[in-house]
Amino acid sequence: MAFDMTMALFRPALKYAMEKNGHGKALGLKMTEINRGEIKLTFPYKQDVIGNPLTGVIHGGVIVSLIDTACGSAAMTVLKTPAVAPTMDLRLDYMHPAEPNKPIYVEAKVYRQTSNVIFCRGLAWQDDKENPIAHGIANFMKVDSKSINFSAIAITQLRRLMPWGSSTASDKATEK
Amino acid sequence: MNAQQKLHQLEDWQASIAAARLEKCPQSLLEMIPYADFIGAQAKIENDRLLYWLDKRPTNIGNPSLPAIHGGVIGGFLELSAAIEILYSLEIAAVPKVVDFSLDYLRAGRYKTIYAKCNVLRQGKKLVNVTATAWQDDENTPIATARCHFLI
Repeated sequence: MAFDMTMALFRPALKYAMEKNGHGKALGLKMTEINRGEIKLTFPYKQDVIGNPLTGVIHGGVIVSLIDTACGSAAMTVLKTPAVAPTMDLRLDYMHPAEPNKPIYVEAKVYRQTSNVIFCRGLAWQDDKENPIAHGIANFMKVDSKSINFSAIAITQLRRLMPWGSSTASDKATEK
Repeated sequence: MNAQQKLHQLEDWQASIAAARLEKCPQSLLEMIPYADFIGAQAKIENDRLLYWLDKRPTNIGNPSLPAIHGGVIGGFLELSAAIEILYSLEIAAVPKVVDFSLDYLRAGRYKTIYAKCNVLRQGKKLVNVTATAWQDDENTPIATARCHFLI
């Protein structure tokens, strides 16, 4: 396969945007694989997001966030120049509760795209991918949004590495 | 944890739910669920109906450049609201188990408070169907609607 320059630039930018900002950072998710139309991520168990205090099972809302993040990221990667694609809808089926104290693995794939819509599927599992916790589908709109400005991201990241580095507005927003 | 402790925990849980209903304080139910505190969900009674809201906070941002609230947070908030609606208004004690959840995003969730209301459309012996609607400025221009099934 030919070297994909766009993805080579987009991969670190997306990883940074998802892991180091806002809700992704709060959850502590890790993007383990980023390819065109395919995303894998891992969520370590966290007591802060328990939904059932009697059993320690995490809240279903976390799975919504994980599948939404994975599918949304996968949708971005299929665009010629990666840009944000807004979610139209999302549906989740919960097959069984997540076991406490174990990481959750999520995989999302774009299975079809038309001129206006990107169709994605996501799967969340713990021990056995054949016995998933949840399965979800999410559809995204292709809109004429501003494509992601790689040079601006690169400059921001370089600046942050400098001793006099100034933090960006989104950094300030995510500081607790 | 042994069976005795588990039983005690369940009794405490049931007592807290009964107290919340008696004192008309849905917020105390949210306080028992760590995830509610994680996203910052709150609830109160307004005109005999439960009103849920989610104040803006940096850890709920999805797209930092707009900034917009994470779609997953909106989903999680509505799923949580629907579960609280069941716990508070139906005569059940166990935590409702979510079976499926479907969400339509109508508008972007801007970086400000989100409100939500729920409706129990059907309560069967085992299954409950709940819808939830979220809005920001005006209840008539919702940002998202959800429907979910819970096993009780």
